[in-house]
Amino acid sequence: MTIGQVILATLVVLLGAGGSYLLLPHAHGSTKPRKAHAAGAILAGLALLGFLTFWTPPGPFVSGLFFYLFSIAAVAGGLMTVTSRNPIYSALWFASVVLSTAGLFLLAGAQFLAAGTVIVYAGAIIVTFLFVIMLAQMEGKADYDRASRSPAAATFTCFLLFWCLLYTLGPLAPQRSVTVAGPQDQRYSEKPLVRAANMTSFFTLTDQSALGAIVRQAVRPTSSLRDPSGAEKPNVPGLGEALYSDHLLTVELAGGLLFIALIAAVVITNPRRPVRPGEADRPLRDQP
Amino acid sequence: MTDVFTLDILRNYLLVGAALFSLGMLGFLARRNLIVMFLSAEMMLQGTALSFVAFGRYHGNWTGQVFTIVILTVAACEASIALALVVVLYNRRSSLDVTLWQDIREEGVRAESRTEEVTQAEPLEPVLGPESYPVLTPAGIEPAHPEQPWLERRK
Repeated sequence: MTIGQVILATLVVLLGAGGSYLLLPHAHGSTKPRKAHAAGAILAGLALLGFLTFWTPPGPFVSGLFFYLFSIAAVAGGLMTVTSRNPIYSALWFASVVLSTAGLFLLAGAQFLAAGTVIVYAGAIIVTFLFVIMLAQMEGKADYDRASRSPAAATFTCFLLFWCLLYTLGPLAPQRSVTVAGPQDQRYSEKPLVRAANMTSFFTLTDQSALGAIVRQAVRPTSSLRDPSGAEKPNVPGLGEALYSDHLLTVELAGGLLFIALIAAVVITNPRRPVRPGEADRPLRDQP
Repeated sequence: MTDVFTLDILRNYLLVGAALFSLGMLGFLARRNLIVMFLSAEMMLQGTALSFVAFGRYHGNWTGQVFTIVILTVAACEASIALALVVVLYNRRSSLDVTLWQDIREEGVRAESRTEEVTQAEPLEPVLGPESYPVLTPAGIEPAHPEQPWLERRK
C-alpha cells in the first residue's frame, strides 16, 4: 500500500466517521438541527465517493455498472439502517441492504444463495415489521430512538476497525496471485491467496507430504466450481453435490441447530403463570 | 485458463463486506432500540457472507457458498431467539430500551453513566388533540336537545 493510499484511506475513514457521528442520534437525545443532518449526509457521501476509488472496475460494462449500483446501495442502505430514528425506516433500509447483497451474490455467481437470501430475509423483515408495529412507538417518538449510547466512542471504534480492514485489504496486489507451474514456484504456495486449484495441481503432481494431502482433501472434484473438463457446473446441482457429499455433517448440524432454536424460542416465550402469594408453598399438583 | 474473477474483483467484494460489517457494528454499539440492534447484527452477518461467497468464487470451490448457507441457518436461529427475548424483555419493562437492562451486567463492571436526565430525551413538540381543532361560532336558534359535545362521546 503506497503512502498515498494510506492517506486516502485515512481521509475516507475520517469523513465517514464524522458523517455518521453527525447522522447518529445525539447522546442525550436533544434534537439535532437540520444543518447537522445535511453536513453529516454530505460528509458520508464524500466518504462513499472516496471509498469508490478503492474498487477496481470489473471487466464488462454491464456487470461493472451493476456491481457499483449494488455496492453503493448496500453501503448507503447500511448507513441509513443504523442512523434512522424510526425503526420502521431502519427495517426498510435493511431490506435494501439485503436486496443489494443478493445482487452481489448473483454477480459472484451464487444464484441459489441470492434467491435464498431474498426469501429468508424477506420473511425476517416482515416479522421485524410486525414486531415494530406491535411493540415500538411510532415515528421515532420514543426517547431511546432519539438518543444513542456513547455515539462518539462507538463511531471511533467501528471506523478504527474499518481503517484496519482497508489497510489490510489494500495491498492485495495482482502480482501476488500467481500460477504455480513448477517446483521452483513452491514458495508461492506459502503466500496467501494463491488460488487453491493452482496449488492442488502442483501438489498432486509432485508432493506426497502431509500438506499436499490436506490440500487435495480440501479441493476434491465435488467441491470444485468447475468439472474436470473446465466447464462451470450448474449452480444448484453443483452446490447440492458439494453440500451432500463433502459437507454432510454440516447439514446435519444445521438441522440440529434449527431444531434447538425452535425449542428455545418456544420455551422462552411461553408465558408462565405468575406465582401469587400463598401459592408458592402449595404442592404442584394442587395448582390447576 | 484465465479466470475473470481476479484478485482485484475479490478485493472489491471484501471491501464492501468490510464496510457492511463496520456499519453493523456501529449500529449494534450505538443504538439503544433492541430491534435496531438486531437488524445491525444481521447486517454484520451479511457482510461476512459476502466475503465468504467472494472467497469461494475466487478459489473456485463451493465451500464459501456452503458456509453462507450455514450463516443463513444461524441467522434464522438468531432471529427466532432474539425476537423471543425481545418479547420477554418488553413484557417485563414495557420498553425496547436496552439501557434499562444494565443491572444484569457482570459483577464489578462499571455502569454506563446513566442518570435520569441523560436518558430523558428532549420532548418533541406535543401533538395537539381534538381540543385544538377550529371551532365554529354557534349561530341561529339553539335547538332543543341536551348539550352533548362530540368530544365527550369519545370517552
